[in-house]
Amino acid sequence: MTRAGIASLVFAAAVAGQDSRPGSAVDDFLLTTTGGRTVPYSALRGDVTVIVFLSTECPISNDYNERMKQVYLDYVARGVKFAFVNANRTEPASDVEAHRRSVGFPFPVYQDPDHIAADRFGAAVTPETFVIDRAGVVRYHGPIDDSRNPARVRVRALSEALEAVLAGRAVRRPEIKAFGCTIKRLGKKPT
Amino acid sequence: MRRGLAAACRLLPLAVLAASPVGLEPYTEAAHEQVLQRNRGSVLLLDFWATWCAPCLKEMPGLVQLEARLRARGFRFVTISADEPERKPHALRFLEKNQVRGPFYQRQLDDDDDRFIRSIDRNWSGALPALFLYDRAGRKVRTFIGETEIEEIESAILRLL
Repeated sequence: MTRAGIASLVFAAAVAGQDSRPGSAVDDFLLTTTGGRTVPYSALRGDVTVIVFLSTECPISNDYNERMKQVYLDYVARGVKFAFVNANRTEPASDVEAHRRSVGFPFPVYQDPDHIAADRFGAAVTPETFVIDRAGVVRYHGPIDDSRNPARVRVRALSEALEAVLAGRAVRRPEIKAFGCTIKRLGKKPT
Repeated sequence: MRRGLAAACRLLPLAVLAASPVGLEPYTEAAHEQVLQRNRGSVLLLDFWATWCAPCLKEMPGLVQLEARLRARGFRFVTISADEPERKPHALRFLEKNQVRGPFYQRQLDDDDDRFIRSIDRNWSGALPALFLYDRAGRKVRTFIGETEIEEIESAILRLL
């Protein structure tokens, strides 16, 4: 396939992915373990599920490593399921696994080598999170909180969204944008 | 001759000052409108970058060279740092080292990033690097998100000049 053809496919997938905004349902998709095994999202999801797109290289993503661990530990104990996903084409499985061990993530990190999940969700940066409710509907899309610097955090947006979804309430701000590193995809999305 | 030298010495600090990044002005929604207004009649490239963004740092020298080559034809290049305040000295040092022409801007910390990002472009996710190209009438005509070949950017600019 030509490079233009690949770019067109990526663009088409990215456009299709724009359907996964808050309020829309999530269809099943496959993720890959760092050992090369494929796992369907349906096997990972729970009553409430969090998808976190992250990177081994992005300094912003790395600034959130401790906060990722904390939010995982806080909410996994309350029955929330998590899928941490690396969709960067520049970060091979060996790097993803080595990074997971070196930062001490107590959870697996899946890969999304063809950006199927990233495109479906419309994920563009790292870190970026999605909260999916019991009905399989996206209820929150946005950052973990509002500052890279933990001392300056004012709004813990992901935790607030999780509290709302767990309590069956509407999320106050279902979609928030924040500065982050681009998820490096195959080809390039024309704009 | 001595009078000429004295005049040159008096002018030198000003010239150095004009070429040096002396500060980062806050970039708000109002500042964005002013920048667009001030550059009406020119082809304008807005570069949202940060010191933590490796591809932003990589592409900056090429963009500076582009402006140096195309400035006389009406091309302008404006940088806006998305760094947090503690990174301001690093941002300034990088701009200075790469001889970027000012003025230099930095996002306002008190601003809501979400609102600010939407005000620049509703379709922008906030991913860096992000370049927005405006024609001489101040209309946004192209957006480059992520790593982009300098030739692709140059070709889009040349079509507008």
